[in-house]
Amino acid sequence: MQHLRAIGQTGEVQRATASEVRERIERVWEALEEERQQDVKSLGERLKVRQV
Amino acid sequence: RNWDDEEDDVDDVDDTDDLDPESEYAAWKLRELRRIKREREAIEGREKELEEIERRKGLTEEERK
Amino acid sequence: MANHRADEKRFLDERGSGGPLAPNGLNPATIMEKPVRERIIDCYFWKDQCFALNEADIVDRVVVHVKFIGGTYGDAQRPSPFLCLAFKLLQLGPSDDILREYLDFGGEKFKYLRALACFYIRLTRQAKNVYNLLEPYLEDRRKLKRKTRMGTALTFIDQFVDDLLTKERVCATTLWKMPKREILEDLEVLEPRISPLGDIEDLLESDVEEMDGKGRDK
Repeated sequence: MQHLRAIGQTGEVQRATASEVRERIERVWEALEEERQQDVKSLGERLKVRQV
Repeated sequence: RNWDDEEDDVDDVDDTDDLDPESEYAAWKLRELRRIKREREAIEGREKELEEIERRKGLTEEERK
Repeated sequence: MANHRADEKRFLDERGSGGPLAPNGLNPATIMEKPVRERIIDCYFWKDQCFALNEADIVDRVVVHVKFIGGTYGDAQRPSPFLCLAFKLLQLGPSDDILREYLDFGGEKFKYLRALACFYIRLTRQAKNVYNLLEPYLEDRRKLKRKTRMGTALTFIDQFVDDLLTKERVCATTLWKMPKREILEDLEVLEPRISPLGDIEDLLESDVEEMDGKGRDK
């Protein structure tokens, strides 16, 4: 599973700051806008692609 | 993937906004007016309650019986 | 603390044993009722989509998977993704700064993110902050889909916020008993709320005028 790699051996996940949350909102919004224009892949697939 | 297998329910409703902005605004306005009315009645009810407490305070022991 | 536990085990172990409390003094691990918590951690959405999330990942999950609000729904009383993510927030305990991003900047773009943040704030914040943070969204008339055991219905952000402020039970969760607005006004904890529609007296007057058939063109 890909998230197991993300959390390493410790079983912990790094906290996000407020500005990281804002960046994520922007990124997701842009991805969605792009999708609306292109309508190629579902957002779910796209986010998966970005996470790898 | 069993968490979204009910997404295409027959009874599904459409949550798309701004299909008819004018009537959506009118519907909101009605909800807001109802809330204002309810709040107003709550305040009036509370004022009456306080008045009643004050009135009872003003009564003598004898009158309270 | 810069890290969260990826899973919920420690969160649930801390039940009643001095884990960090929410700002309103409640233990976040017990805010949802036990049968509901058990349904959540048993469900596939929780196992597959709520593991090792942080506060930013919540945004992705809401946008991709939250298509309606609700607690448990259908005959199987399945916990909604909305409820699962609210439970995840109880585990993460996001700061006020982060909640403001969810509510405002994120909430403008993603209505279900705003709804989730409102629900979480109602569960964990003090009454004064609940009123102050939530009431501005009584103006947000965007539509929300809501699923219950009975089926699917349409509601609105403003209606959902009003439910959170006035009802006892929302989305399979008994809300803590918050003092009523008028009590907090008497104590001068809150200023009276001003409706975006403006002054009440003016409104009542104009309504009467409309009924008289004079309309707004006066």
